[in-house]
Amino acid sequence: MQWGDSDVTLLADILTILLNGLQQGAIYVLLAVGLSIILGTLKFVNFAHGALYLVGAYLGLFITAQVPLNDGQLVEWGIQSYGIGLGFIAALVIVPIVVFIIGLLMERFIAQAFYDRPDTDQILVTFGLAIIVQELLRAMLGGNSQPFPQPSWASGPIALPVVGNFPRWRLGVIAITAVLVLGVYALVEYTDFGLIVQAGTLDGEMVRLLGIKLSRPYLVVFGIGAALAGVAGVVGGPLANVNPNIGTEQLVPAFLTVVIGGVGKIEGAVVAGLMLGTLQVFLIQTGYAAWSQVGIYALAALVLLVRPQGLLGSEVDVS
Amino acid sequence: MSDEPRNATATAATDADAEVTGGFADRWASFRDREISTVLLTVVGVAVFPFLFNNFLDGYTQLATLMLIYGIFAVGFDILLGYTGLLSFGHAVFFGGAAYAAGIFSASVSSSPLLVLFAGTAFAVLMAWIVGFLSLRRGGIYFAILTLTFGQMSFYLAASPLAFLTNGENGFTSVDIGHLLGVIDIHGGVPFPLTMLVDNMLYVFVAVVTVLSVAMANRILHSPYGTVFRAIRENERRAEFVGLDVWRYKLMAFIISAAFAGIAGSLFTIEGNYVPLQSLYWTESGRIVIMTVLGGVGSLFGPLFGAGLYLYIENIVSGFETLGPFWHLILGIVFVVAVILFPNGIWGGVEYGQDRTMAAIRFTRENGIKAALRYALDLTVQKVKAVIQKIRSVPARLFGGEGK
Repeated sequence: MQWGDSDVTLLADILTILLNGLQQGAIYVLLAVGLSIILGTLKFVNFAHGALYLVGAYLGLFITAQVPLNDGQLVEWGIQSYGIGLGFIAALVIVPIVVFIIGLLMERFIAQAFYDRPDTDQILVTFGLAIIVQELLRAMLGGNSQPFPQPSWASGPIALPVVGNFPRWRLGVIAITAVLVLGVYALVEYTDFGLIVQAGTLDGEMVRLLGIKLSRPYLVVFGIGAALAGVAGVVGGPLANVNPNIGTEQLVPAFLTVVIGGVGKIEGAVVAGLMLGTLQVFLIQTGYAAWSQVGIYALAALVLLVRPQGLLGSEVDVS
Repeated sequence: MSDEPRNATATAATDADAEVTGGFADRWASFRDREISTVLLTVVGVAVFPFLFNNFLDGYTQLATLMLIYGIFAVGFDILLGYTGLLSFGHAVFFGGAAYAAGIFSASVSSSPLLVLFAGTAFAVLMAWIVGFLSLRRGGIYFAILTLTFGQMSFYLAASPLAFLTNGENGFTSVDIGHLLGVIDIHGGVPFPLTMLVDNMLYVFVAVVTVLSVAMANRILHSPYGTVFRAIRENERRAEFVGLDVWRYKLMAFIISAAFAGIAGSLFTIEGNYVPLQSLYWTESGRIVIMTVLGGVGSLFGPLFGAGLYLYIENIVSGFETLGPFWHLILGIVFVVAVILFPNGIWGGVEYGQDRTMAAIRFTRENGIKAALRYALDLTVQKVKAVIQKIRSVPARLFGGEGK
């Protein structure tokens, strides 16, 4: 990563940290919002959320470009490359739809059987699913890192006032995240669908007694959460290389974001994600790169110990 | 066995055992439940294991040693997961932490294997006291996430800020293990009568520690203290209402399980003369979860088998011609199937089979062979019908069943 020169002003430094923090936090936010609404409404702990991110990233790569293969079973079966090369915009549209459907299937066939079983069983089965997805991809496509090309219209730097040159794609990540999160927020806060979901979260039995079927809205909530993870994979892919480990690597910070922000709170996930992102970037940029990872976990531990329900969580949520 | 409240048939069978006196089934049941027989079975098991493993399962002694080490880890983990009902995703802290502590201790204080073992375990206990004290303020998923958080924190601490102690990403290489009690070369061969069973001293050392660990776990779980753990798992609030200090017992369960992880971690260092950074990463915590669940939560011996099966797939199956590249995938599928269909793991299956066999023997003795066969046939037909019914209900579940 390219950090500012020695002659940039303090203001520019701060703004750069904030922008980079926003970008770093954006991926956490996208993952955490999905995780959080699933955990908040369905009370389902999804350790396979990172796997959905992974699927999103690989699927995005498949749709965006033509990728040569040099490892894995597909090569041994004589397939030298994969991908249909439709471009990035196509990936941004198709991936959420596909992962949404994966989410629906997952809810019906996996999650539903576990609603009445203990949290620990939910964690165990989704953890196992995450391993299956990750290892299937590794066996088929190989464990090597694949570069995910940035869309040509968003590569290269852009000149911003005060800050100076800033990678265009990072601004793109921030913008896409903002649009998606606002969309989900509006859906939950201002539509009838959102009203039913919110009511169901508060008192599902009462809603059912009023004659409203909850299984469909819940199914959709699961799908939306999954789709957000898929988009996160497409958006986050070009920031780093794609390999089978990125799902599990993203899962832990995403979970931290959820619990720091407060389970089920979209605003909470946004605040927490930006906090973690900014802290991480701040530590890297001020010369404490070695402590950047330790820092976010320490912050998370501190918040959870002082305010167990999360920053914006309500006391009722505490289990 | 009364250790298996999730398995209603097993409990029922034990009750039935008590009613009928005499017969093979009851003699076996009374033998099985005694402490001395548990220890004896473990001794016999670890003594013949390398011979059977090396000759019939393509194994080698080093892997058998590793299986026992992870077996100890899993037995301890099960005290927390299976008996107390707490799922920790941060036990790598205690395993890896003890491994590092043991390694650093051996390099800079004393190279005596027993002292190294003690130092590593003591460090794990100390860490568990702190991590447990902080994480146990929250239950359920929060506990899992908090332990995960502390686990990752220690991984990143060891990776760079503490690299001057741990040697960072390269792992700790300057482990120095001396002779056991000053005379026995731990990486050397064994004296004559033992050579028929094992080929190196290290296995003997690890096997002795394994037997002691299993005996200790057995003693803890069958003491009133262990009964409290089970009470907490069954109903935490009720345990609190009868006047038990639930929080203290949970903390102790956490520390006890970490002590086992510490023993395993120290042995891991003694065995390999090396501590990889990976031993602190959260996938290590995930491994032990998988081993324990595969083997069977809530049983003493199950986790040993789970650890063995995991390492067998990882090290032996991975070398197979066609299945090899898919070993990790196979493990994931086996794990998910176990969680969904066999919550009591391999050992649950063994116990189920054992109980059914005992029940069958008893039934046959009382009603004659003809009735027993007819009954078995009826039961099979019923089971097949139930499976067909389940498959036919899939479309209904897919298109609009009433979920939660």
